[in-house]
Amino acid sequence: MTIQIILALVVFAGAYVFIATEKLPRVMVALVGASLMVIIGATDDHGIFFSEKSGIDWNVIFLLLGMMIIVGILQQSGVFEFLAIWAAKRARGRPFVIMVMLVVITAVLSAFLDNVTTVLLIAPVTLLICDRLAITPVPFLIAEVMASNIGGAATLIGDPPNIIIASRGGLTFNDFVVNIAPIVAILLVVFIGLCWLMFRKQLQYNADRVERVMALNEREAIRDVSLLVTSLIVLALVLAGFILHSLIQLEPSVVALLGAGLLVLLTRLETRKIFADVEWETLLFFAGLFIMVGSLVNLGVIDMVGKAATEAVGSNYFGAATGLLFGSAIFSGIVDNIPYVATLAPLTNDLVQAGGAAAEPLWWALALGADLGGNATAIGASANVVVLGIAARNGHPISFWTFTKYGLIVTAVTVTLCLPYLYLRYFL
Amino acid sequence: MHASDIQGRFPVVGRGTSAVEAARLIAAEHRAGLVIADKKGAPVAVVSAVDVLGLLVPPYVLDDMTLAGVFDEKSAEEVWGQAANRTIGELLDDDGVRIYDLLTVDADATVLEVAAQMADARVQIAMVAGPSGDEPWFVTLPAVMDAILTFCAPPVDKS
Repeated sequence: MTIQIILALVVFAGAYVFIATEKLPRVMVALVGASLMVIIGATDDHGIFFSEKSGIDWNVIFLLLGMMIIVGILQQSGVFEFLAIWAAKRARGRPFVIMVMLVVITAVLSAFLDNVTTVLLIAPVTLLICDRLAITPVPFLIAEVMASNIGGAATLIGDPPNIIIASRGGLTFNDFVVNIAPIVAILLVVFIGLCWLMFRKQLQYNADRVERVMALNEREAIRDVSLLVTSLIVLALVLAGFILHSLIQLEPSVVALLGAGLLVLLTRLETRKIFADVEWETLLFFAGLFIMVGSLVNLGVIDMVGKAATEAVGSNYFGAATGLLFGSAIFSGIVDNIPYVATLAPLTNDLVQAGGAAAEPLWWALALGADLGGNATAIGASANVVVLGIAARNGHPISFWTFTKYGLIVTAVTVTLCLPYLYLRYFL
Repeated sequence: MHASDIQGRFPVVGRGTSAVEAARLIAAEHRAGLVIADKKGAPVAVVSAVDVLGLLVPPYVLDDMTLAGVFDEKSAEEVWGQAANRTIGELLDDDGVRIYDLLTVDADATVLEVAAQMADARVQIAMVAGPSGDEPWFVTLPAVMDAILTFCAPPVDKS
């Protein structure tokens, strides 16, 4: 092992520690780590910008950018608030029915929007509904954020790790729908049952308060009907573009950018409003991560570990899938699942390349483990942290352990259920 | 004219002051903000009236402005009752609220010095330096404006 490889591993491990402990902003850590990789000669400008194998994955960056623009414009229409209030009124103020409806809405939205955006949209309206019903919003907020992490696993665009996996594995939107969406639908039903078991005692029906919910006017939430209609049409076109990938031969990133461009053109919103929800820091964080992982690829570290993993796995792909599923779930519960998947994706790719079709389920094991593992602890996913912040600001603090005690149960059940699914579908 | 010539008394609130009480102090004299004291009662910071207004509105409505429209009139009126439970301390703990360090000006500072310092610090209230232990004096934006206007010639009527 050369000095250069040792230095690169030190930089990589150090960056991981700083990202996991959140001592410094994660974007700063990723960019400093990337800079150090350049300084030690582990990568260069060509490697960073033009190498498909070891450079920045522009498909991931621009798919995220395009979807952030589309969602940022769509959310200004008020459609999400409309749906949530409409659901609460249809439930006639019965807390568990409201919870089920909000959980389903959140999970479905999360499949098409990123999880943080979904919870940012659904949490305030949940607080409003609970305020009107004079019940604690804590179980609702916890259930919603967990539903967003489960629902986000269903599609290529639902969770950033899926975008990385799709790009590295050459997987399409339809691959995710066919292979992961069915188990996610099952998990959602099971999760609703878990919500009943975990939260039923906190969901007191108060008949006197129902009229306060019924008095809410959800139509007032729709501020701009033409914006809503235009946004939904463009979103439908983008989804059609993802589904028809094999026919139109356009990468998801290009489809998302075309959709964003079309929406910008049609809505003619101010530039400030168009880019208000673009998380530039997140995009730079991804870029920094890709440079760091790409540096290890350049130095042959990933190949070396990949070969060792391939030898260790042999032809026991079910064993490898089991390890990836549970290992990813545990790891993602402790640290951000984005750097974890960015690192594991090239390794998994080596295994899949070596094993062919028989090893392809490893991608699904990685995606399910990383996505569902985010529910395990209060810091397991960005959406969890965001919801805890909103809850605290609204006078309903949720402690780390309050979240985690529910999170561990939900993660254990959902991840364990994925194992028979993987076995029955791919290894029987 | 010096800072000491335009100074006046100003209410000082603490972390425990309720949002409703803070709003009363602002509304009663049309004040632009409030001075906040530390645990020992010494003035240390300034919060603007608009931030106190934000404290009266439920945080979930500030998180999602769309929700302000879905209340009917009766429900909207009920919302204000909840503001009694909120305190100035919440403003101090909120990273999204800009709390200005209290600007101190010398008692013998000219109006130009006071105006320049307040404009530079973007604050509407400044404390006038005085012997410690005494009840503090303050200069406010309207007082400074009034003082400046006494030196300005009235507009010429061109009709």
